[in-house]
Amino acid sequence: MNAMPSEIGQIVWRHKNVIDVDCFTREELYFLLDQARHMENVMDRPIKKVPVLRGKMVVNLFFENSTRTRVSFELAEKMLSADVVNWSVQGSSQAKGETMRDTAWTLEAMGADIVVMRHGAVGAAQYLASKLKRAIILNAGDGTHAHPTQALLDLYTAWKHLGDLEGKKITFVGDVLHSRVARSDIIAFKTAGCEVVLSGPPTMMPNEVDALGCKYEKDPKKAVENADMVYLLRIQKERQMDGLFPSVDEYHRWWGADDELMKYAKPGALAMHPGPINRGVEIASTLADGHQSVILEQVRSGVAIRMALLYLCGGGVR
Amino acid sequence: MKKILFKGFKIFNGTDFLESNEVLVENGKISKIGNDLDCNDAEIIDGFGKILSPGFVDLHAHFRDPGGEWNEDITSGAKAGAAGGFTTLVAMPNTKPAISEPSLVEYVLSHGKAAGASRILPSGCVSKNREGKEMAELLKMAEAGAVFFTDDGSPVATSALLRLALMYTGEDQPRIMEHPEDASLFKGGQVHEGRVSALSGLKGIPAASEEIDVARGIAIVREIGSRIHFTHLSSKNALERIRQAKKEGLNVTCDTTFHHLTLNENAVINSGYNSRYKVNPPLRSIEDQKSLWEGLQDGTIDAIVTDHAPWHLDEKDEPFEDAPFGIASLECAAAVLIDFKDKNYPDVPLELILKKMTSAPASLMPKKWQSLGRIEEGLLADITLIDMERTRVVDCSTWFSKARCCPWEGIALTGWPVMTFVEGKMIWQDDEDL
Repeated sequence: MNAMPSEIGQIVWRHKNVIDVDCFTREELYFLLDQARHMENVMDRPIKKVPVLRGKMVVNLFFENSTRTRVSFELAEKMLSADVVNWSVQGSSQAKGETMRDTAWTLEAMGADIVVMRHGAVGAAQYLASKLKRAIILNAGDGTHAHPTQALLDLYTAWKHLGDLEGKKITFVGDVLHSRVARSDIIAFKTAGCEVVLSGPPTMMPNEVDALGCKYEKDPKKAVENADMVYLLRIQKERQMDGLFPSVDEYHRWWGADDELMKYAKPGALAMHPGPINRGVEIASTLADGHQSVILEQVRSGVAIRMALLYLCGGGVR
Repeated sequence: MKKILFKGFKIFNGTDFLESNEVLVENGKISKIGNDLDCNDAEIIDGFGKILSPGFVDLHAHFRDPGGEWNEDITSGAKAGAAGGFTTLVAMPNTKPAISEPSLVEYVLSHGKAAGASRILPSGCVSKNREGKEMAELLKMAEAGAVFFTDDGSPVATSALLRLALMYTGEDQPRIMEHPEDASLFKGGQVHEGRVSALSGLKGIPAASEEIDVARGIAIVREIGSRIHFTHLSSKNALERIRQAKKEGLNVTCDTTFHHLTLNENAVINSGYNSRYKVNPPLRSIEDQKSLWEGLQDGTIDAIVTDHAPWHLDEKDEPFEDAPFGIASLECAAAVLIDFKDKNYPDVPLELILKKMTSAPASLMPKKWQSLGRIEEGLLADITLIDMERTRVVDCSTWFSKARCCPWEGIALTGWPVMTFVEGKMIWQDDEDL
């Protein structure tokens, strides 16, 4: 589809663990996207399976409920022929009475090769990586900090539509403060060469937006001006309980995205969302289901990019 | 008691370096300072140019005893202090139960004495059971030996209670040491509100939290004419409030910590959110850190404290968000600061930071202890020998403290205490030295 990135050709893949996207260079990102394209082809085959991870044991260690991310990883792992175990811990590890490092060592003792972890605490993936002696860790989300595979699948989706992302503009609208998606996406899109602008209620923005290397524009209409991509972040309704905004209705009126808002962006700009969507809150149904929306493509991209990452970190090139 | 003659030392008396290079200790006291002191029956310790300093005085250390002894007890804490060159440690009262009555003050004193290491001086809570509701028996606790009153771990819960306690203690009783923090701004916070909170999404603790509480204390002191000490200052604007209050002539003092002087929020970010950097008040911006060095130099900051907050590794070695606040530093604090100063602030005189670790903090204690932190004839022989050439790697696994991790683990530092004496008795010696 796009000639540019594939021309980069083979590079030496130096990554084992993936904690956040800040470990990748631009070349590595595009290489990864190119690999994901190959993986996506596998998804279209009548027999959706390649033997890349045959005989490898992958544990999906989920301390937080996330059916989508877990299923996406599981599909990717199965298409790569890995043996998959889902280890869900309801509540925190403390509630269960076992520390995370004991859990980690238990997994290794059982022979896990790759651990995919979702945890509610910032730094949990880095922490686990420091405790694992042999197994590879892929971060499936650590608290409000990072969600690298989400960022990569977003990048992949955008790249498939727009080609080289250098100089393109993406605007994130919503709760940046509590969003691991936004944090990882900002890094990924900036590394890929994009201009990143943030919008949303000031109470849901980090005080030092500069630290993220982005501009903040309170008014979403101004923020999306000339944008190639408009990325709506999920509003968790409990944030209203925290008093960060007075009502869902007021949020939707000011920062909710609809076809009207998209008129301020570039014609044909992509509307993106990490899911699950709150219809009528951060996104109107007409936009979510309309021709500019790539939300379901993002879901599909998730499987492909996770396959590529599992392949590169856990099996393939090294 | 035997006599000890210290020869060939650079002697720091708590304020300045002296011309003399010998100190004679007899019966636990400093009997003579001079040159070519003649004493046949004394044990001689030759310094070969090392520094002889008053033992360090730490106004702020946590020992988790009673109630949390697996994290630290008074004995392990007192020994850790000795190994860090500290001869006097003020124990914070936020234990379980909290030290808020005279019998508990006596408990801390007697366990401290039994440890046979650094001198442990108790502090008592401002409020009964540290509940922030009504005043504890402050006068009785002072009589029993409490040297400060503090609800540390939290600020004094209400302005009304703080005002009462400041009135009640006045200028003749131990100082009230306030932990400056605004409860509602602190709530749920994990890190400094700034770069680190933006990058991690961890809930920030704004510097305004500290400034607001400092402003509260100053306003009360201005009105009623008492005095207040603010502990572990971490931020520029709060410090500026204290600077102005001092200019105004109010009896307001403050301290900062070894770790706030030597670390900032970038350490948290660069570590990938390692819990060993999790502390309250949080490690703040570079600008805040720089302001603390200015505060040291212009006299706004009176003392440097450890805020030694030990946790057993099983508690502390958790993902950042799940770990408790606190840095344990008694056994390396002096070296951390000396090494940092030499590398980053070579023009700041060593005397200045040593003073803030010795005579300056001692002068904030009740009369009985104000002569600690000095090398003068007739005073108690609390002495720490420092080797400015010594380089050692911080190795928490060798610590007396039960806390076995700190931000400096594995880092080579230059300038270490090598021997510690309390009342003329050697309580610690670096195995490899002298």
